[in-house]
Amino acid sequence: MRRNDKLLGGFITLAMVTCLLSASVAIEAQSGLITRDEALAAIFPEANIESKRVFLTASQIDRAENLAGEELPSALIARYVARRGGEIVGRAYIDTHIVRTKRESLLISLDVNGHVRRIDVTAFLEPLEYKASELWLQQYNRRPLGDDLALQRAIRPIAGATLTALATNTAIRRVLALDQVLEQDK
Amino acid sequence: MLVILLVFTFMGMSQLSAVSSDKLDDAAEEAIEQVDNQQSVDLEELRRRIEVLAEEIESLRSGEVQQIQLSEEDIRSLGLAPSAASAYMRDAGISFAGYGEMIYKNYSEANQSGNIKGTKFDFLRNVLYVGYRFNDKFIFNSEIEVEHAKEIFLEFAYIDYLANENLGFRGGLLLVPVGLVNEFHEPTVFFGADRPVTEQRIIPTTWRENGAGVYGSVNNVAYRAYIVNGFNGSKFSSAGFRGGRQKGAKAKAGNMAFAGRVDVTPMPGVLVGASLYSGGSGQGDIKNNSRDFNVQTSIFDLHGQVQIRGFDLRGLYARSSISDALELNQSLGLTGANGVAETMHGGYVQVSYNLLSQIRSFGLSLAPYIRYEKVDTQATMPVGFTRSLSTNATFRTLGVELKPIQNIVLKVDYTWVSNQAQSGINQFSINMGYAF
Repeated sequence: MRRNDKLLGGFITLAMVTCLLSASVAIEAQSGLITRDEALAAIFPEANIESKRVFLTASQIDRAENLAGEELPSALIARYVARRGGEIVGRAYIDTHIVRTKRESLLISLDVNGHVRRIDVTAFLEPLEYKASELWLQQYNRRPLGDDLALQRAIRPIAGATLTALATNTAIRRVLALDQVLEQDK
Repeated sequence: MLVILLVFTFMGMSQLSAVSSDKLDDAAEEAIEQVDNQQSVDLEELRRRIEVLAEEIESLRSGEVQQIQLSEEDIRSLGLAPSAASAYMRDAGISFAGYGEMIYKNYSEANQSGNIKGTKFDFLRNVLYVGYRFNDKFIFNSEIEVEHAKEIFLEFAYIDYLANENLGFRGGLLLVPVGLVNEFHEPTVFFGADRPVTEQRIIPTTWRENGAGVYGSVNNVAYRAYIVNGFNGSKFSSAGFRGGRQKGAKAKAGNMAFAGRVDVTPMPGVLVGASLYSGGSGQGDIKNNSRDFNVQTSIFDLHGQVQIRGFDLRGLYARSSISDALELNQSLGLTGANGVAETMHGGYVQVSYNLLSQIRSFGLSLAPYIRYEKVDTQATMPVGFTRSLSTNATFRTLGVELKPIQNIVLKVDYTWVSNQAQSGINQFSINMGYAF
């Protein structure tokens, strides 16, 4: 091996070892994914969370699908309403969908205006390498439903995990549309 | 008198009847109230049960809750061994997926020197992924490939142990974590009917070897580090490392190698990283005057990818080096310009733009792409050997990719190939691929 190559190889090895050491220091004790209750408590601290199972009407499904431009796979929706001092501070929904051949569930939390506040992955049955990172999911924060809420537009794709990105984007469009419809029908 | 008696009798009966009717009304009202109360209780109970069922269904559908755990007695009662009963205990563990591609290559009638190369139509590969989730910690994953419609390969097969969200352990037949394409080689992921030449000759995709290691990610840094069996150096050629892959088949493991990568995603849509492979390739076969040569082989690469607003920019530079190249060539009986080089290098830059990205296209994408690539598999030669003029080549590819849905792709491109030996053959290609 040439001297330059040895030096460069040594440098890259050193960089990798440094990253691995940093990684091992930062490893969290928790295993598995966050639960709904943990996520809701973190997003809406000290709030009273009301859990509801909503049975959508045919009209609500039609309106939500038109708004989202996506299909709603089920008329049964898990909805959470967070109140603090009797006042609504936010809402959250669970969306379960297929990524490739396995399921993913997202807890999509919204502020009172119906904009995305935070997204948590509560179930991911595909290999974890395909799971969207927190950094990637943060792209949706404070975004309303609109044409720009699409991959390759306001939302950048995930290298090597296109199907995860697509499934996530579809789920978020669905939830934002659904929230608008349910708030109109209050 | 009789009349008076009759009147009194009638009045008495009427009163009796009125009393009796009032009592009846009260009883009826009471009964109705009781029924109403009971119905109300029943309705409330029905509502409660529907809510419980809805919650249960939604929870099961979400995949968050694993299914019933069975005791040893339960398993015994099923008449099954513990492993056979596992399907009863967990969320369905088996997963299937796959991909494939068919390619049509129409070469120029003649190369730069006038030599002719035939046209080919090949069902390049059909692949089935089979995985099994034993439990939350242990996962098996594999890829079985039928190549050229007749050859069967195991492309990878490994067991993962997920220690936590940031760290996993992996062992088996592994994809060597080098470059952009090797681990993500589905036709819907990379541009071009053919993979970049650098990632065929210097990073010999699809490159897999037996080994074990760690993988994971912390925040925006992803890493993999494996120990695998080294190349079989006796199969190297002037065209690169491709022949040296052992593919997990009775692999010679006298020399082991390190393979690892680090990728950083500073912001969504942007990825930069580096990979390194280093290990001996002698495998005890490269001898000269009874001295055993290690044939230390190193490959490193720097790569990057940017995907913003429909643009996709990718670039990779790879460089390799081999020690004992002279002894390797002597041992293999190679001479002149046919020798294995001491160093090789190559790289490419590729740009594409999805023309339909900024409009509502319902998953349809149409992306022209252009790739410029230079590869030299004989960059420096051992003393006494010469460079072949054909191994230093330039490839310019212009094409378009159509995806009717994101799982299906049709790629059409033309590649201009040139080298100093004037033996480059231009190529028109059509690739139809799928992944699910």
